Amino acid sequence: MSPAAPPAAPIRVLVAKPGLDGHDRGAGVVARALRDAGMEVIYTGIRQTPDSIVAVALQEDVECVGLSVLSGSHVEYATDVRKLLDQQGAADIPVILGGIVPADDIAVLEDAGVSAVFPPGSRIVDITATIERLARRPEQPA
Amino acid sequence: MTGEVKVPARPSRDEWLARHAAAVAGGRLPEFRTAGGRTVEPVYTPDDLDGEWSAYDAELGLPGEPPYTRGATATGYRERLWSWEFYAGFGAAEDANARYRYLLETGATGGVSIALDLPTQIGLDSDDPLAVREIGRVGVALDTLDDVFRMFDGIDLKRAGKVFTTANAIGPIACAWFYCLAEERGEDPRDVVVTIQNDPLKEYVARGTQFLPVAASVKCAGDVIEFCAERGLPWFPISVSGSHMQQSGGTCAQEAAFTLANAIAYADEVAGRGVADFAPLIELHFCTDMEFFEEVAKYRVVRRVWTEILAERYAIEGQPPRLHAVTSGLPLTAQQPRNNIVRITLQALAQVLGGVPQTRTASYDEGLAIPAEDAVKLSIRTNQIIAHETGIPHTVDPLGGSYYVEALTRSIYAEVRDILATVEAMGGATVAVETGWFRERLAAGAYEQELRLENRERLVVGVNECVEDEEGELQLFKLDADAAERQLARLRKVRAERDEAALAAAMARLGATLGRGENSIPAVIDAVKARATVGEICARFRAAFGEYRPEVEHLG
Repeated sequence: MSPAAPPAAPIRVLVAKPGLDGHDRGAGVVARALRDAGMEVIYTGIRQTPDSIVAVALQEDVECVGLSVLSGSHVEYATDVRKLLDQQGAADIPVILGGIVPADDIAVLEDAGVSAVFPPGSRIVDITATIERLARRPEQPA
Repeated sequence: MTGEVKVPARPSRDEWLARHAAAVAGGRLPEFRTAGGRTVEPVYTPDDLDGEWSAYDAELGLPGEPPYTRGATATGYRERLWSWEFYAGFGAAEDANARYRYLLETGATGGVSIALDLPTQIGLDSDDPLAVREIGRVGVALDTLDDVFRMFDGIDLKRAGKVFTTANAIGPIACAWFYCLAEERGEDPRDVVVTIQNDPLKEYVARGTQFLPVAASVKCAGDVIEFCAERGLPWFPISVSGSHMQQSGGTCAQEAAFTLANAIAYADEVAGRGVADFAPLIELHFCTDMEFFEEVAKYRVVRRVWTEILAERYAIEGQPPRLHAVTSGLPLTAQQPRNNIVRITLQALAQVLGGVPQTRTASYDEGLAIPAEDAVKLSIRTNQIIAHETGIPHTVDPLGGSYYVEALTRSIYAEVRDILATVEAMGGATVAVETGWFRERLAAGAYEQELRLENRERLVVGVNECVEDEEGELQLFKLDADAAERQLARLRKVRAERDEAALAAAMARLGATLGRGENSIPAVIDAVKARATVGEICARFRAAFGEYRPEVEHLG
């Protein structure tokens, strides 16, 4: 083993689009922004279910799951993804969500275990900084 | 006092620039650029147009004359104002029906535009496990022909003027539905004007309701066009759409070029089947963003390029392009939503000055939810004010001859032609769709637009300029919580009551027709008459052609 500490591996983030809505401009913008901020981004493509999202999250060993929902079903999808991650031993993977979220729903999402919500008008730098703060990081060797 | 007025010698633009170099060097911005990336000069003069307009006839002509740059008809809005139609639909069919009646009573002139919910658009029944959360959310839920009847209950299709719907991947089913609706109501389908968007190619690129492989989708779209041509239906069996691509990050030139490339793919498909008179059946649909003069110029360019393509590629002459435009939802902000009234007015003005005969105007609350009734009414009134109070419709192409607009028209024309040549060289639009070439360009554009917004190269009032604490007292639309339950109950009833033997026979015929690669529409008509559901019919298409699946992408 090299005595020097290895450089921290890039944060692995899953960007996911649950539901039938195919408008993924926002998901694409965020995915590019995270990549440019030095993260490894996995994008599920459109039309995913909570099950398929959690399966990819575990398989790809991601450290944060970002959901993009524009269809109005954000509470249901976020709740399901959070629950499934918890049930599958991944309670430490934070779930964040962006999309057309009315102000009243932000507290509902937070109660459901969503760590951060980004409604229209959110800035890339804030999304990046939030992920850097929340992401599950590998345990540092003692 | 009389006498000759001495006209000073006009300096060339370069001389003028040199003379005023100090004055024009320092402006409010380091450089002035259009949203499409064009550098904007401080002034435009005849020098920008070769001085003599030597190419006037080749590039512009007069309205109603090829290449139709100045307008598809000689009369412009002097004979008939542009139509203003409204896109609506939510809940179950009876909910949508009530909204359509309201719109027609309020003065919408462009007929009824039906927003479909996502399960319907993707070919899933309301009781599909993937559908349950999305029933009636972004449009009306239609499972069977019975729903289509309920949606138009009490609405005279002839008087409504036009029926439009965003059926794309399910284009063949929508075609069959409207054909059967007219027939079973005892009307002649030729007396109704139906527009079916029926443009699956842009779904893979920007909108996302595709469920078949690309080539099969083009084949199905071609079935609808061929069927309408053979039956002599005065419908628009396809509305090739750029609006979603612009809203996904494309510039106006990309929007125009990608749309025309897709239009060529469909035209090749039906021309290859021997359909000769397809040109009047193809509508070209775009959206109008905020970059005012570029948007006006875009519509002039599209008319010219499509006219040239019809002549060059298909030897079709004398067919003016059929344009349709909608104000873009993209610039509408959730912040200070009433500001959107002004944005929509300017967009509506640009598409009118671009000479578009069929238009749709957004509602100011669309950044937040399905439009409320009052917001929709205001959009109708916006068009009525432009039409009746401004004098703008009195002459055709009033911006024609503006040095700036003509210079933009030339510049966009050159860029569109360039992109079309690139797409042709790679094998056409289906290749550009399959390889993700279109998608990649739009995604890069969307990212660049976001960066420009965040570093304040692009200012949007209420978003990164003039930001306020939000008011939030708007009356937003609330979907009736029972709508999904009502729709599911209806679907159960249809399934229980239909004639199973007739259904089985129709479905067997559909499967066989698809297997032989024949035009699917007559068999789809039999199936919808037998009350086959959207999901059952689409399952046959998937079985015959395979299924599109999105791929996981790795970035960085």
